[in-house]
Amino acid sequence: MSTTLAPAALNEPQVQDPGRRRGWAPYLLIAPGAIWMLLFLVLPILMMVYVSFWTQTTFAIKPILTTKSWVTFFSSETYLSSLWTTVRIWLLVLGCTVIVGYPTALFVGLFVRNKTLSTVLLVLCVIPFWTSFLIRVLAWRPMLGEQGAINIILMGLGIIREPISALLFTELSVVIGMTQIYCVFMVGPIAFMLSRIDPNIIEAARDLGASFPRIFRKIILPLSMPGVVVGAIFVSVMVLGEFATSAALSGRKTNMLGNIIVTQVGSLKWAFAAVAGVVLTVVMGMVVALLLRVVDLRREL
Amino acid sequence: MSEGLRLDGLTKRYGGNAALQGVTLAVPDDTYISVLGPSGSGKTVLLRVIAGFEQPDAGEVRFAGERIDQMPAHRRGIGFVFQNFALFPHLSVRDNIAFGLRHRDVSPLSDSGALRAKVDAMIDLVGLGGLADRGVHQISGGQRQRVALARTLVTEPRLVLLDEPLGALDANLRSRMRAELRQIRERLGVTFLHVTGSESEALAMGDRVIVLDRGRVGQFDEPDAVYTQPASANVARFLNCYNIFAGHLDGGRFMAAGGAFVLPNARRAAPEPAYCIRQDLIDIRPSDAAMRAGETGLVARFVTSEYSGSSVQYFFEVEGGRAVEVEAHLSHRRPEDLEPKRPYTLAWHADQALVFG
Amino acid sequence: MQGPVIKPALAVYTGLFILFLYGPFFVLGILSFQTGPEGGPQFPIVEWSTYWYRHILGLTPPSRIAPLPIGEALVRSLVLAFMTMVVSTLLGVLSAQAFRSRFKGSGVVFYLIVLGMMVPGVLVGLGMALVANTLGIDRTWWGTAFVLHVVYTFPFAFLVMLAIFNRFDASVEEAAWSLGVSPARTFRHVTFPLIWPGVLSAMLFAFTLSYDEFSRTLFASGRELTLPLAIYGTFSVEIHPNVFAFGVLTTLFSFALLAVYAILMGLSVRRARRLAIQEDIT
Repeated sequence: MSTTLAPAALNEPQVQDPGRRRGWAPYLLIAPGAIWMLLFLVLPILMMVYVSFWTQTTFAIKPILTTKSWVTFFSSETYLSSLWTTVRIWLLVLGCTVIVGYPTALFVGLFVRNKTLSTVLLVLCVIPFWTSFLIRVLAWRPMLGEQGAINIILMGLGIIREPISALLFTELSVVIGMTQIYCVFMVGPIAFMLSRIDPNIIEAARDLGASFPRIFRKIILPLSMPGVVVGAIFVSVMVLGEFATSAALSGRKTNMLGNIIVTQVGSLKWAFAAVAGVVLTVVMGMVVALLLRVVDLRREL
Repeated sequence: MSEGLRLDGLTKRYGGNAALQGVTLAVPDDTYISVLGPSGSGKTVLLRVIAGFEQPDAGEVRFAGERIDQMPAHRRGIGFVFQNFALFPHLSVRDNIAFGLRHRDVSPLSDSGALRAKVDAMIDLVGLGGLADRGVHQISGGQRQRVALARTLVTEPRLVLLDEPLGALDANLRSRMRAELRQIRERLGVTFLHVTGSESEALAMGDRVIVLDRGRVGQFDEPDAVYTQPASANVARFLNCYNIFAGHLDGGRFMAAGGAFVLPNARRAAPEPAYCIRQDLIDIRPSDAAMRAGETGLVARFVTSEYSGSSVQYFFEVEGGRAVEVEAHLSHRRPEDLEPKRPYTLAWHADQALVFG
Repeated sequence: MQGPVIKPALAVYTGLFILFLYGPFFVLGILSFQTGPEGGPQFPIVEWSTYWYRHILGLTPPSRIAPLPIGEALVRSLVLAFMTMVVSTLLGVLSAQAFRSRFKGSGVVFYLIVLGMMVPGVLVGLGMALVANTLGIDRTWWGTAFVLHVVYTFPFAFLVMLAIFNRFDASVEEAAWSLGVSPARTFRHVTFPLIWPGVLSAMLFAFTLSYDEFSRTLFASGRELTLPLAIYGTFSVEIHPNVFAFGVLTTLFSFALLAVYAILMGLSVRRARRLAIQEDIT
């Protein structure tokens, strides 16, 4: 192609397509991944929303739009209590992971300045992930059962005389199990944020006579908040979508929204399952939005 | 001389900033061209557009009569030597040099004997004998520079673009490589377009010098013409060997902060008036000495001097704090002992000054 | 750092934390050596034995306890994880490569991809099942479940590759082009060898995540079980120490996998040293 540039065009250069050849390359490269996500992630979610308005018969669903499943969901004791259970367990586990995780993160991120030791500690935190998630859940059964390790130890120490039966197959066991499985996701981000604190700041505060509680409140806590929020988002998203831990450790007594979805699908009540799914999606969206409100991550990170 | 590289109205913007603004040039074949400009003058962008790593927003690049600005980089037959060398870290010296011949789109060399012969010849040419099987991290900076050059030259490009190729080398090595680069180029008969921020490098190496000034060609001429007759005050400034005074023209004189200078016969039109006098054309005299016929000058206080072997750089200060530098070549005169804080007369022939405005 | 009390206290706390992380697993490991077939999944250990390990491998005489349906499930899981690994690493490399240049809509696409690891398996699994039902597609582990596994693991591979490309010096690619080498061959002979360690990490991520995935699989695969589904199946019925023995074995298997990864990394260590990221001279 040949274009003769008039002098006017030289003074006022026309804006060409910025790199015709390379301009398309990113789109070609991103297309497979983007299409995959649209087809297999966005489409299924939209389908779930759509199906929640379908008509549910005993064994099938029909594409006749109705809000009947929604009405059923919000007037059913079972569904509403599972919604409440989900929120309750989420809050409990979130609280527990912060309580269990924060001091550890404080130690790993702030107090351990030895590179090797902090790496070893972090690796120790990650190793359990190479065991199947379900096995890790099941491992709590011989821990918490009436003849489980904890009861045996407590009786051996003479702290209790009768085994505590409330340890397993209760909501407590579900919360314990989830806390153990997810607390690492809380420790990681907090430790990361804490490790970025310049030790000189704390030294300076100490030289000025600030006590540790004061330093913690004024310096350490605010600087670690973004880590807490990121950890909370991880934990929340995973806990809200849970069903296996509650199934395994509560003896099917604790029903979260995830468990409702599983049982409804099992009995071919697709529309009800879809309603529960949409409710779960909304709850999750609200939780994440709320957490992002607490700390402006864009500014903090 | 056959037709080499032609640029016509080449323009490149990044966001709102124009890195190149209508660069128009014709570079003949088989020459060594230096491109001089301060950082931000667009010299690296110019090379990257010619090489095809960046697309121009407007304008044309022609090479050997063919329009190439829409051509992908690997079809242009233009070599590129990077400042950081950009050697392939996973390959040995030999494989780095053989890489282009082995993998190029047009007539790749698959015959291992021929390949080896070519690569060995190139290794000898750039003086890397004995290092062929080393990894590129096991050799020195200067040797890496040679690998980068050899890797490009062995593919026999018609034009080689060098982006501050000596910038990463220490001073000693740099001056040695200057001579070598020129020799190698002459032996191969290719065109080199060598970008540098160093005026001495640009003047020493180029058969011709392009001076880039804020994305425009400030001057394109032979080195001595650039040195003695810079086309604008900015070009003079980039050469780092001129005293440049801002001021205004008043009758037959140039009124600057430090004095009023007699105008030479010629002057060039420019939007901003400027008076330039080369540092080595200034004579230092006692403050009471009179100006001779045809001379002009000013009185300034001596501050300090810097001795650099073959020459001495004297620093003066005129009233108002403006610095004036004088360069004295020791082959012409003996170093003078000047007294700090004492005023001296600085004189020069009025006709040797360059006046813009 | 802060006085004599706080640091030791936190150290003790961290020790307890590690115990909390590992405790259940030690108990599980101990109980896997319970005697069989009459020994239960609880203390006390009646007698130490490797009965349950032999039970898993089918080396024990038949008893009332059905063997875990793991033979075929293991093969399926490995095949599925392998397929997922290949596809999601490929997509991850392509997408990260795309993100090296700025393009319109890159922000939206970024969140679209990252969404894949954030959306819980129940939701996307349910959605996929609904789509499959509506379109009349059979749900299979190698079809509907596989695509969801990729949805889940591709974001991880993408982020790993994004981090790798962030540190990648693009001038080596430009150098190759200027030598007359086409972008495709440049990718094969320059870019790929240099990003290989990153690709290996992305593959490891994708493989382990897919191998352990079960909530998506639960909804989207048909009647044929993968390994996690087989374990999930034991949740409802009475568990026996064979599940514990199996947990120990899978963990050992995971470490073997990790060792393979370490060896592969070690093999490219000489390359890795001269690696990708040429030290920046400027």
